[in-house]
Amino acid sequence: MTDAGASSRSTISKFAPVAAPLALLAALAAFPLLGPGPNGIRLLFVTLVWVTTSVAWNLLGGFAGQVSFGFAVFYGLGAYSTAMSLNAGLDRPVSLLIGAAVAATASLLIGLPTFRLRGPYFAIATIGVSEAVRVVMTNVAVTGGASGYRLSEHGSFNQLLHFYTALSVAVVAVAISIFVRRSKFGLALVAIREDEGAASDLGVNPFRTKLLAHALAAALTGAAGGVYTGYAAFIYPQGVFGFDISVAILLMPIIGGVGTVWGPVVGALVYGFVHEELIASFPQLHLLLYGSLLILIILFEPGGVMGLLGKIVRFARSRSGRGAHSSA
Amino acid sequence: MAPILRLDRISKNFAGLAALKDVSFDVEEGGLFGLIGPNGAGKTTLLSVIAGSQSPSSGIITFRGRDLTGARSFHAVRSGIARTHQVPKPFRSLSVLENVEVGYRFGCHDRSASASKDAAQVLEWVGIGHLKQMPASRLSVGDLKRLELARTLAARPKLLLCDEVCSGLTETEAASILRLLGEIRRGGTTILYVEHNLRAIMSICDRVIVMNYGQKLAEGPPEAMQNDPSVIEAYIGKAASV
Amino acid sequence: MTTVDIVNLFVSALLLAGVYAAMSVGMTIIYGVMKIVNLAHAGFLMLGAYFVFELYTRFHVDPLIGAVLAFPVFFSVGVGIHWLMIRRIPRSDQPTLTSLLLLFGLWLVLQNLGYLIWGNADRAILTPRTFSTLQIGPIIFPTVRLVVFGAAVASLLALEFVLHKTWFGRAVRALMQNSDAGRLVGVNVEGTARVAFGVGIAFAGAAGGLLAMMYSFTPDFGGSFLLRAFVIIVLGGLESFAGVAIGSLILALVETFSILAIPAGYQPSIAFSLLVLALVILPEGVAGLWNRRQRLT
Repeated sequence: MTDAGASSRSTISKFAPVAAPLALLAALAAFPLLGPGPNGIRLLFVTLVWVTTSVAWNLLGGFAGQVSFGFAVFYGLGAYSTAMSLNAGLDRPVSLLIGAAVAATASLLIGLPTFRLRGPYFAIATIGVSEAVRVVMTNVAVTGGASGYRLSEHGSFNQLLHFYTALSVAVVAVAISIFVRRSKFGLALVAIREDEGAASDLGVNPFRTKLLAHALAAALTGAAGGVYTGYAAFIYPQGVFGFDISVAILLMPIIGGVGTVWGPVVGALVYGFVHEELIASFPQLHLLLYGSLLILIILFEPGGVMGLLGKIVRFARSRSGRGAHSSA
Repeated sequence: MAPILRLDRISKNFAGLAALKDVSFDVEEGGLFGLIGPNGAGKTTLLSVIAGSQSPSSGIITFRGRDLTGARSFHAVRSGIARTHQVPKPFRSLSVLENVEVGYRFGCHDRSASASKDAAQVLEWVGIGHLKQMPASRLSVGDLKRLELARTLAARPKLLLCDEVCSGLTETEAASILRLLGEIRRGGTTILYVEHNLRAIMSICDRVIVMNYGQKLAEGPPEAMQNDPSVIEAYIGKAASV
Repeated sequence: MTTVDIVNLFVSALLLAGVYAAMSVGMTIIYGVMKIVNLAHAGFLMLGAYFVFELYTRFHVDPLIGAVLAFPVFFSVGVGIHWLMIRRIPRSDQPTLTSLLLLFGLWLVLQNLGYLIWGNADRAILTPRTFSTLQIGPIIFPTVRLVVFGAAVASLLALEFVLHKTWFGRAVRALMQNSDAGRLVGVNVEGTARVAFGVGIAFAGAAGGLLAMMYSFTPDFGGSFLLRAFVIIVLGGLESFAGVAIGSLILALVETFSILAIPAGYQPSIAFSLLVLALVILPEGVAGLWNRRQRLT
């Protein structure tokens, strides 16, 4: 192995972390212009919404280790608040912010009592909260109850606008995730995940930290719900508050690699594409697939896709390293 | 001079069991105080209560003149009390350096310069600087104990509560930890040291407090404690003290 | 609202409590011994329902007998699943997220199996018993609910007997209190856990069969019961079977009498709200409050 080879490898590894995501972003941004047709754009649109919720959930569930089974409540609240704001005549960015704000506020109300609970109990409590809200929304007349809520028509449907909105929100989510991971706040989250008592004994305020992470995650999820609503123009309680939404939201980061920055993105991309294809060809099998995947991941590779990739990379590196030594 | 820590009739009950009963004593600033007693005497519980990991059922804790009773541990740390754990609780997926950074960035209330640099210095001082990038999950028991100490020291406490820092270590390792404690104390930190190893306590402590059944039995200089009948009885039994 | 109405409501609640108790026992066993929150419990309730359904429609086996037959069948399934998956995850004296997610994955798989085999049409078991009632004085008892209540009481009693009078029961109780200590005194932890898991699944399957006599079902049957089982276990305290009885009674009473106060549409949210309240206010359940007073040093 020559010196030139070694230095070019280190150049690649220095720039890869920056270059790869930018390349991905460029590819996604250029996608609609490559002629995939409205169906392809819709597929990627939905996937981008999932990327946002996936990255958001991971802030709380992956970094801080607080696994919520009830994130649909934020998705739904964001969806409905954005819808109602749009119908009230507010413009899109403001409506999305309102959706995010409502979700974040709800997260504080939910987090205050539930963050006292340990792991699985917290998870179960979040199911209870989300389902309770769903039932209430199904009965409340103002928002249409079970029949749903419709956006009033505002001009023609501009698919590209929705697509780039979804892309922007997703980019914001990933940027926040990267920033958090490297920040002092991120260090606190991981410390809490590993050992909340020890973290507190070293000066981390677990309550405030968890509430903040929860609010951030909820805000992003609410924004995602708002983005979706703008596109769908019609939402109903089961569709945005349903337990299956909460399930999807948590499956994606776990499949991709919970606790990493890019794992949730990968998981969402995988889920988004696979889900659509599955629904088309084998509508009967998606639960089986996700369930089995979840089981396999828990049993054999808790790091998900990213964990698997990491192992493969390390294996390949150790192989090539050995090769260099033997030839020296 | 007022003591840095004053405990006034601290009691702690768990579901009908009195783990601590009316424990009172003062800790002078700059001293190295030992806390001994047989298993189940309540030593770790007392440390937990002082550090804020648990709140007392009754009693008052005064630290540097301020009432810290019931303050939660993150608040206590920022006020200057930090503790190590009897069984180390590392943040497994973080590196050794990152573990210490948590202590430094969150616990230390007089911050300056960059966190990593000071965290690295603490690691060097404690003797595991060479391990700073290693994930904490891969450390040996001895190194975990050092990490526990480094992490707590990084919070720059005025009062350091050590919980059996030497247990599970070899003679050599324990001796070097004790030397470290001496240095920490010379640096101005007050130390309250819970230990099972009586020889360790006797060799470095100014003053020893003896506990049993959740109560303070006796208090005094190490030599006096060695000969105190109630202490002997607590450890060995009635027959030996006769 | 006459006195008879109130008594009828009360009886209704009592019978419903029986249903709920029968349905939660399986989860309590598994939780108590292994500290695992079995989300797949819902899946086994569903499979139990279909099992009894198939026996009834194909072989004309009375559903009650079907539920009894479900017991050994589901016991074997439970043991198999423990061997296949559960034993591979780290054991703990606290419930872990790993076990939660693993069993959640299993639930998804079971649901899909249900859809593949039976599709998503509503099924129901209709026997002469389904609509018959027993009348004692002014009070009306739907027969099915009486049967289920009886089965619930019988199974709780049987469990109490096994737990307190047999060697296995003693091992289980030891593990429920402290698995490390149990291991030290010679309890075969893995073996006992495997049997306990099997028993828990057996109860789930049998309970599913009983529930099938009262409700119609599809493959996602069990989800609403799952949440109620949590409520019961949390309300009653996760550690005891008397707790299951208490929790079932509280939930059933609140649900039944809430009809008087709130519109029917909001009814499902009661269980969910109780769940959250119970988790937050009573982490050890009602039984925990009792235990605290009773505990000796």
